[in-house]
Amino acid sequence: MDLLRTEFRKIFPYRTFWAILGIYILLLLLVTSASSSVVVNGEVYGKTMYQFPQIWSRLAYIGSFFNVLLGILIIILVTDEFTFRTFRQQVIDGLSRGELVLAKFYVGLALATFCTLVLLVLGFVLGLLYSTDKSASAIFSQLDAVPYFFVQAVAYMALAMLFGFLIRKSGLAIIAFFVYTILVEPLIHYSLPDTVDKFFPVKVFASLTPRPGQALIDQITTPTEMLTPQWAVLPALAYSALLVSAAWLILKLRDL
Amino acid sequence: MATVLDIHHLSKKYGHLQALQGLSLQVEAGSIYGLLGPNGSGKTTTLGIVLDVIKPTSGSFSWFGSPVSKETKQRIGALLETPNFYPYLTARQNLQLVADIKGADKSNINRMLDMVALGTRSNTTFKGFSLGMKQRLALAAAMLNDPEVLVLDEPTNGLDPQGIAEVRDLILRIGAQGKTIILASHLLDEVEKVCTHMAVLRGGRLVSGGPVGDMLAANEQLVISAPELQPVLALLERLPYVAQFTPAKEGVALTLKEGYNSTNINRDMFAQGIVLSQLIVRRKSLEAQFMEIIKTTS
Repeated sequence: MDLLRTEFRKIFPYRTFWAILGIYILLLLLVTSASSSVVVNGEVYGKTMYQFPQIWSRLAYIGSFFNVLLGILIIILVTDEFTFRTFRQQVIDGLSRGELVLAKFYVGLALATFCTLVLLVLGFVLGLLYSTDKSASAIFSQLDAVPYFFVQAVAYMALAMLFGFLIRKSGLAIIAFFVYTILVEPLIHYSLPDTVDKFFPVKVFASLTPRPGQALIDQITTPTEMLTPQWAVLPALAYSALLVSAAWLILKLRDL
Repeated sequence: MATVLDIHHLSKKYGHLQALQGLSLQVEAGSIYGLLGPNGSGKTTTLGIVLDVIKPTSGSFSWFGSPVSKETKQRIGALLETPNFYPYLTARQNLQLVADIKGADKSNINRMLDMVALGTRSNTTFKGFSLGMKQRLALAAAMLNDPEVLVLDEPTNGLDPQGIAEVRDLILRIGAQGKTIILASHLLDEVEKVCTHMAVLRGGRLVSGGPVGDMLAANEQLVISAPELQPVLALLERLPYVAQFTPAKEGVALTLKEGYNSTNINRDMFAQGIVLSQLIVRRKSLEAQFMEIIKTTS
């Protein structure tokens, strides 16, 4: 916990940190409020969109798009330490390489916790505003989408961390992170059968927050096989552990 | 005396470049040890390895007789190459982070800021500092938990003459408290003024090393002249303790063997009826010696 306290001392006075976190929350609010006031067939869409209990999986799905921003934030925090040579100084002053990686992972956990709480609050506010069914069973029955969202945020940040530690330069690392998640892995998926590629990291992460109404789309198009959120949790956590370990190994083998 | 740092046959290769080859040296407690060498001679690589940020290709080292660990690191304060801080944090915030990691007492922060004369600028962000202020902040950070050993890589780099004098004074003061200081520098003058021991590095090898006094004493140079040079030269030829002599424009330059000094020459000249018109003792500067050491081994 000392590690996390020290990390907070670094990031709380950091404007870039607040700017990115601010953009994250702002976008989330903007998209959710905009989509709730869309009028479809003379009916305010928010009413159907934000009904308990489906609201949780819908919000988790919307939020999943912005988890990429959390990845960027982590990459910036990691690569900054290389740029400022502060990783080097901290090892000189007494931290181990493992602690450097662990400290950044803790930041990831803290960020994921914070964003999950934001999502939770948002869900309650929108649900209580628009939902017709406000019974406790409706509110809480599908709340498990929220912890899945948390796992996904952590997993994306673990992947981002690896790129940060591997590449050390913020611009390049961010590009590599994007290219991998939205280009390279989907291309690999394309050439592999679904039974195999559903276990690929980015696809596993995406499985945690499935698109609402995917079943309906699958009836029209060729369905793509994905893990259910429940089944994706363990692989996602395993990937996170693996990615963080890889970051540690990279740091251990290299000069600082 | 206890050995603080023991380096055994350390080597480092960067690709094809052999930055360090088989370096061995010991630093005794209480000494101010100068690591001297031109740029690229392996000083920073050596310090980087013993500070655990650069992986040696082969060889080993120990601090206080143990391998490097959190415990040994807390007994060492170090500044390697550049002052490394978060540019957007103030001097005080930066030192707070260092205090967290080193487990140093918070009250030391103000004391150290005052010591390096940054007390009034403690709430300025690091990026607003001049190079000299950055360097001084790095010194404050290195000394934050009152370490037994200070490792300083080019500590006067980028300082103005007054700053250089202050830092040297600071080093001597810290050294006088019985602390061990390891100082890398390409400034010979600096090592001569500050250090008790020194090692000269070149091309990643140890060229020579020992107490600074010994290395200096071995190389005293005398310049003598007399109205008649001929008998002087004839006598010098016969004196057994004259290591070498060369006639120069202003007289004769000569060096003596160990244990002899200008008194011997003066007495023997006078005994032979030669009255010297000039007798100058020239302590060869370390710079000249340094160039000599480097030349003779290349």
